[in-house]
Amino acid sequence: MSEKEGKRKSKTVEKVSPKEIADRIKKTADSIATQINKQEDPEFITMQRGKSNVVWDEKKGYLGLGEKEITRTFLNIAHARKFMQTSMIMAKTREYLEHNKTASIREIYYELKHTVADTKENTFEGQDESDPIIVDLEHSVDTIREKLNLHANPKGTLYGDITLLDRMHHNDKFNAAKLGRGGWSIMSRVEPEEIEIVDSNAEYLLVCETEAIFERLIEEGYPKANKCILIGTGGQAARGARRLIHRVHNELDLPTIVFTDGDPYGWYIYSVIKQGSMALAAHSEFMSVPDAKYVGMTIDDVKEYKLEAVTERMSEGDIKRAKEMMAYPWFQNKEWQSQLQKALDQKIRIEQQALANKRLDFVATKYLPEKIKNKIFLP
Amino acid sequence: MAEEKKGRKNGDEESEIIVKAATNLEKEFKEHSVAEFFKKNKQMLGLYGKVRTLTMVVHEYVTNSLDACEETGILPNIDVKLDELGEEYYEITVTDNGPGVSKENVGKAFGKLLAGTKFHRMMQSRGQQGIGASGCTMLGQMTTGKPSKIISGKEGQKPFALEMVIDPKNNEPKISNYKELEKTFRGTSVQAKFKGVLYRDSDQGPLEYLKRTAIANPHAQLSFRDPMGQKFVFKRTHNTLPERPEEIKPHPKGTTVDDVLSYCKTTKGRTVSTFLTNDFDRMGAKGIEEIKKKVHFDMNKDPKTLTWEEAEEIVKAFKSIDFIAPSTDALRPIGEEQINKSLQSIVQPEFLTVLTRKPSVYAGGYPFQVEIAIAYGGSAGRKTGEQTQMEIMRFANRVPLLFDAGNCALTKAVQTIEWKRYDIKDPENSPVTVFINFISVHIPYTGAGKQAIADEEEVLEEIRLALMQTGRKAGIYISHKRREAENQQKRLMFYKYIPEICKAISTITKVSEDTLKKNMEKMVLTKLKLEEQQDAKQRAETEKVLAADENSFIVEQKPEKKKEETGKGKK
Repeated sequence: MSEKEGKRKSKTVEKVSPKEIADRIKKTADSIATQINKQEDPEFITMQRGKSNVVWDEKKGYLGLGEKEITRTFLNIAHARKFMQTSMIMAKTREYLEHNKTASIREIYYELKHTVADTKENTFEGQDESDPIIVDLEHSVDTIREKLNLHANPKGTLYGDITLLDRMHHNDKFNAAKLGRGGWSIMSRVEPEEIEIVDSNAEYLLVCETEAIFERLIEEGYPKANKCILIGTGGQAARGARRLIHRVHNELDLPTIVFTDGDPYGWYIYSVIKQGSMALAAHSEFMSVPDAKYVGMTIDDVKEYKLEAVTERMSEGDIKRAKEMMAYPWFQNKEWQSQLQKALDQKIRIEQQALANKRLDFVATKYLPEKIKNKIFLP
Repeated sequence: MAEEKKGRKNGDEESEIIVKAATNLEKEFKEHSVAEFFKKNKQMLGLYGKVRTLTMVVHEYVTNSLDACEETGILPNIDVKLDELGEEYYEITVTDNGPGVSKENVGKAFGKLLAGTKFHRMMQSRGQQGIGASGCTMLGQMTTGKPSKIISGKEGQKPFALEMVIDPKNNEPKISNYKELEKTFRGTSVQAKFKGVLYRDSDQGPLEYLKRTAIANPHAQLSFRDPMGQKFVFKRTHNTLPERPEEIKPHPKGTTVDDVLSYCKTTKGRTVSTFLTNDFDRMGAKGIEEIKKKVHFDMNKDPKTLTWEEAEEIVKAFKSIDFIAPSTDALRPIGEEQINKSLQSIVQPEFLTVLTRKPSVYAGGYPFQVEIAIAYGGSAGRKTGEQTQMEIMRFANRVPLLFDAGNCALTKAVQTIEWKRYDIKDPENSPVTVFINFISVHIPYTGAGKQAIADEEEVLEEIRLALMQTGRKAGIYISHKRREAENQQKRLMFYKYIPEICKAISTITKVSEDTLKKNMEKMVLTKLKLEEQQDAKQRAETEKVLAADENSFIVEQKPEKKKEETGKGKK
């Protein structure tokens, strides 16, 4: 195990070149070819994912992947088809890397989809077949999708005084405060070799869940007045947004403050930004921000800001989710336990936009500035 | 009772009423001749359902022909034609190569209802399904007003043609248009018209009936032309007539009070003792001694004067005394070889196993025997659309039973078998035909329709044993076959992915695609071969276990003959 661990953690993902990733794919293929020519059942090894192999690294402050591996072999009826799909994805991603091309995960699916000779089946029947194989490969060659020159659909918006350089597009240099009210659409791949963070005068990064609040804050001139960079995730943060939050936080050394709805769903969005997700536990290292702080909404805000009239009832799903979250190791601190317990006791949730009940600008002129100034955060 | 409620009538008045009622009944009975009775009791005679009635008619004529041929030692050739004359209106023509009927007897054969009953004969016979050929004549004239046409010729005599109806008042044939024919013909041909019946090519239609009759009578050749003009021939597969069944004396254990009283009427014995000794199977001096001790009347009295109560005492005594089991010599199975041939010819399965069990006895007094065959693959099973499901062919003394399957012990026995054990995982979806011929001198039908056999414990158990014995053999074949198919499927399943894998791996590594391909294919074959060897080892062990299992509960086992034959490898 130690040997494998050594191999896997030898270099941080960020510093690995496309050439090296391509070589790792070749090494895997070489080993498969050697096994085949010895008439041995060829193997493809990747990491087991999902809850059973997710570990909470308290010291590092994020979720990590355990050491459980899975071996996919060809001569196993249940694996044979996936083995074929894996080889195809390997060959195709290596081709992208060699030719410096990128593709969406939907595009690679369409590029590889065709009928298997002499059968009625397709190489991939749907994107739901190719997506997991891509994740298998990411884990097998110890990298992230972005390094395989693959990307998912972009989601999330950036606004504020931060200058970026797009190396893939005429080396365009732009400040995200000067792109109009809409800001910059965060691409799904924001790796340093594509998007360089040039500089910023901001003092902190504010991440907010809803696009509506994102727009409200811009309309009220909040980022300028409070010297902050604003990222709207539009619900659960996509990989690109998480990567960018991680990079802005680390490269510009800016505090990261998260603002979501006051309900289990919103709080989980925060926890994914901070500690990583179970699905991408292996990538937490370069996607999570363990130092992030949570500003709101909280159940305490309801009393503090007299929002009793604008709370919503928790749904059955909310209640179930809250109970699950209370059991997660990374929610085992008194602040979050108390927050979740209060929500469960009162069976209420409070949305960001409920603050409009006071005044439209209340969130920008009173709520956020006051809480951030007084550091009224949850860990 | 109404009279009782009124409570005023004295004994005399009551008896007067009863006498009056009885007289009326008698009068009514006379007025309503047997034919009238027939008319009123169609249901009881099994003549319900348009399809069923037509099948029944076919059965009566064909049974008549088969019996006539067998009794005179002729290998039967029977031809059945059906013509649709109108809506629910058909004409049936059945021609055989039998001995023919004389002019004197033709009326009795086709024009007199319920004549010549064989009711009390203890003998393996096809038996009437209810109405007989005369019943068909009656049914035809009742529904169409038309007579039946009969042509018959005996060896060395001129054949004749005539038309016949039955006079419903006195149950006598009325013959018209009699003429002698100037041609040579031996056999009997009957043509009759029926309304309110319907032809269907279904499980219960005439075609299925004839097909099954052919299966159970390999010595007969049956041909059929359906109303659409399609012709079917079920060829003779065995050229020897079955031995005639013997009539045996009734065994005391299977006798009812009513039986005793009716035997009394025909006995030659002058005392009850001699009557019992002469007319019953296994009745010796010791038996008579014991009966004497148990009854309260003089056993020397004339049996013709036996009262119901006395007969009851005799039957009660029969029940309490141990008799030797009845002789089983009278039974005539079809035979394993014969069933094998006919099923191969008619069902054309891939695999077939046949078993004729040794005779046994049910209810203490009736000898019976069971013949089972399991056919798998090929055209076996019943096709329903895309699916093929298990088909159960039931026979009683070679007569196909097409109706009342749910009530029949034969069906029940099949349903109690755990077919999974014999690799028939889903009987509802397997190409299997189960053939069961139940043979006895007395078939325990559940009702007057004579289409279902009652679940006598010994019968059920015997059929189950036979099914298990044959099922085991079928299972071995089926599992072997399934494994072969699975292996083939597995190979293809691996093979189909090889080209894509080799192409991809070769693109990355530049290792020759062809070499990779060859090696992968070899790898697959080696793996499958290994699996097969392991399988074979396991199978050998399973078979050993099965064999041991068999000995543990099958007491009477026939020496295994080589009967299984793989068909022509149909898909």
